[in-house]
Amino acid sequence: MSRTRSYGRKNLIISILFAVLIFILSIKLDPYNLGQVAVALMLFIGVLSIVLLTGASGQISLGQGALMAVGGFAAALAILNLGLSMWVAIILAVIAALLAGLLLGITAARLSGPYLAGTTLVIALAIPSLATRFESVFGGDVGLNINFGNPPAWLSSLMGSVGYEQWQLLATLPFAVLALFFTSNILSSRTGRSWRALRDNEIASSLNGINISQTKIFVFVISSGFAGLAGVLYGLRGIVGPSVYPISLSLMLLTGAVLGGIRSILGALIGSILVVFLPDVIDSIMKHFSPSEQVANYLPAMISSLLLILTVVLNPGGIAHGLHRTRRHL
Amino acid sequence: MEIFLSAIFSGTSRGAIYALAALGLVLVWRGAGVVNFAQMGQAMFTTYIASTLIGHHYSYWLAFIVALISGGILGAFVDLTVMRPLSRKRSSNFLDSPAMHSTIPVIASLGILGILQSGAGIFWAAEERGFPTPVNSLGLVIGGKTMPFTAFDLFVIGTVFITLVITTYFFKGTGMGLAMRASALNSEVARLSGIKIGSMRTLSWTISGVASSLAGLLVTPSANLSPSTLDLILIIGFTAAVVGGLDSLLGSVIGGFALGLLISFVNVYDTPEDIFLAILVVLLAVLLIRPQGLLGSKEVRRV
Amino acid sequence: MLEIKDLVTEYGSVKALNGVSLVAHVGKITTVIGANGAGKSTLLRTISALEQPRSGNISWNGKSIVGLSPEKIVRLGIAHVPEGHAVISQLSVEENISMGALFRMRSNKVDVKNAQQEMYQLFPRLEERKNQLAGSLSGGERQMLAISRALVSRPSLLLLDEPSLGLAPLIVEQIIQTINDLCRNTGLTVLLVEQNANTALSVADHGILLSLGSVVADLPAAQMKADVSLRAAYLGY
Repeated sequence: MSRTRSYGRKNLIISILFAVLIFILSIKLDPYNLGQVAVALMLFIGVLSIVLLTGASGQISLGQGALMAVGGFAAALAILNLGLSMWVAIILAVIAALLAGLLLGITAARLSGPYLAGTTLVIALAIPSLATRFESVFGGDVGLNINFGNPPAWLSSLMGSVGYEQWQLLATLPFAVLALFFTSNILSSRTGRSWRALRDNEIASSLNGINISQTKIFVFVISSGFAGLAGVLYGLRGIVGPSVYPISLSLMLLTGAVLGGIRSILGALIGSILVVFLPDVIDSIMKHFSPSEQVANYLPAMISSLLLILTVVLNPGGIAHGLHRTRRHL
Repeated sequence: MEIFLSAIFSGTSRGAIYALAALGLVLVWRGAGVVNFAQMGQAMFTTYIASTLIGHHYSYWLAFIVALISGGILGAFVDLTVMRPLSRKRSSNFLDSPAMHSTIPVIASLGILGILQSGAGIFWAAEERGFPTPVNSLGLVIGGKTMPFTAFDLFVIGTVFITLVITTYFFKGTGMGLAMRASALNSEVARLSGIKIGSMRTLSWTISGVASSLAGLLVTPSANLSPSTLDLILIIGFTAAVVGGLDSLLGSVIGGFALGLLISFVNVYDTPEDIFLAILVVLLAVLLIRPQGLLGSKEVRRV
Repeated sequence: MLEIKDLVTEYGSVKALNGVSLVAHVGKITTVIGANGAGKSTLLRTISALEQPRSGNISWNGKSIVGLSPEKIVRLGIAHVPEGHAVISQLSVEENISMGALFRMRSNKVDVKNAQQEMYQLFPRLEERKNQLAGSLSGGERQMLAISRALVSRPSLLLLDEPSLGLAPLIVEQIIQTINDLCRNTGLTVLLVEQNANTALSVADHGILLSLGSVVADLPAAQMKADVSLRAAYLGY
């Protein structure tokens, strides 16, 4: 009990430090990079959903992007049709994603390995296509327009003029911190241990009284809630539509999770920063070689795919695990 | 009636292609224990190779053969460079746990898909291009009446039929085929019989690469060629394989034809926009009601 | 001659073989007996390279075979019939037999055909069922099939793991007798692992008693069979 409490205090301190760090960044950066950091934070929440699902409980999902879409569309409908505020819409979006996760989890609890991967891949393609199918509700290929709106007056009076990108980042920050705090707590709790037990030995954990399918469904629900939250924030940048949540988004989250380290929260942070900023870094290097448009368009994707394979084959623990190992050797 | 017949014919011709895609998937699953999500990426890549040759005024048939051969080489390459090193260090793998065992190669195959798609983007530009058919793709005219199928439909069905006959003969009638089946079913007994199971795995990847490449060549004329056009075929192929039973070659073929007909009917009687939804419904229904598929065996199912 | 020196094989941190040394002479039946968990199966699995030894040496006809792959070892004339009637139940009887000779197919097709026929002469019941799936056979027939699968490669050393497991005494008698005849008539070297000590020692030339991964007795079979105290101490009867 006291051990859990000391974990809780450590997690709280780390979360606060994280919040302060990002807050300082939000004052220092130029608008473009503010926007990028905001996206990285949104994806961080999405990658955490994979750390919980795949890293902790050993289930795979290639359809986290579809759950993000569920969150995004739920919020867009709430804002546009019911006239609700952004904050209420975000809560509704998370609830919608939790429900979608429940449905998905009930199916997924019976599947594993490649069956689960394939099924979630089909879901990742099918859900966004619903937007085109029911155009009058979901706005078809174009999608629905929502955004973070203007920063509240008290914030502007507190910090001077707050730009739109800065506001994006500041509005996303509390959710990212909350997600971080929640994930670190659940992973160090009894619940987290039972998930890992499931991952490492299903039979033994069922003999120890863990209800396997209930646990699997529960992980799916929690993970979907995270994905939904990431999805609504991602959509609030301007548009909620099929082109915002393509299959490549699901794969990007998975890539981020694996590169950073699929079992680690630090890894999730590193991974999401990597997938957001790697293209920028590659761009700035390539500028010196004046590449053709094709190369400029596709090289980042090629490099991140290559990194994904290299990570899986050579350093499956990801960067976080590598750091951990190096530290031990020093 | 006319519409119904044409739906049946186009469904059969589509189904033949999906059967090939499913076959390619099942070959690698049975032979190497990997569901290869890069499969149709490999097919897309080799179709681009064919398209480039045709663009340089080589004949369709030369391009066709070159694409099939490069499909085989690509399959073997994927196995030797990624999957074999991966399976060799499985036991010490940090990612590995019983629940993740068959998921790790899936992640690797997604990486390969990414490389192939971005590679195709770099080599062959991103703009879509068409892909020719070797024979006419207008309604066939017999005795003054336009038939509900085209010469290309017949070509597709014929090619796939020949492929299936060759595949069946290879597995049932040759020593190499027996060796491949043995190592897929029980690798320990196979090794004790002197069968080189590593080579058999690579061979599975090679044959699957050829089959997938053929599926790509046959399906592309009805779509346009772009780095991501064949993603849909992967989804359909996977669903077809699950419907038939992921470990059954015959089942995958039946599943392919079933999906072809289903999609054709959705296209004709409903709207093409519902295809994804129809696939999802079929997939979920099979997984929940009969998870081993039509012909799959229960104990072998590695779910 | 099969010569094993100080062989150590581990599963994780558990030593299944703890410095085993033994010799199996050409044309003789050497039997390894011992209780459950003595390391008998591990011994055979290490010889055929299904497990890698930690240390020690295995040599066959004077050459070390440690570090080779199972596929290579079969090609050196060492055939292993693992525990539990190891056949592939989804393949037919005929396919199971041909599987064992596939690697010789290219070099000597005629002899492979002959070898397959000999298997049917050895076990006529298999010929009657040659188109049936191996999974539909009885336990005894499956063991015969597993042995045929190994013999069709024309090995000079046969590693036989608990052929009597789960079979009726009459069938055990028949199988053991077939092996004995083969050994006497063709000069086949046999390393027979058995829990059923009486049956094994009655046909064997030499007996080796294994306990907890170590050799505790290495005697001519007749002498071992007669030693009541040894059996009482290690086999419990």
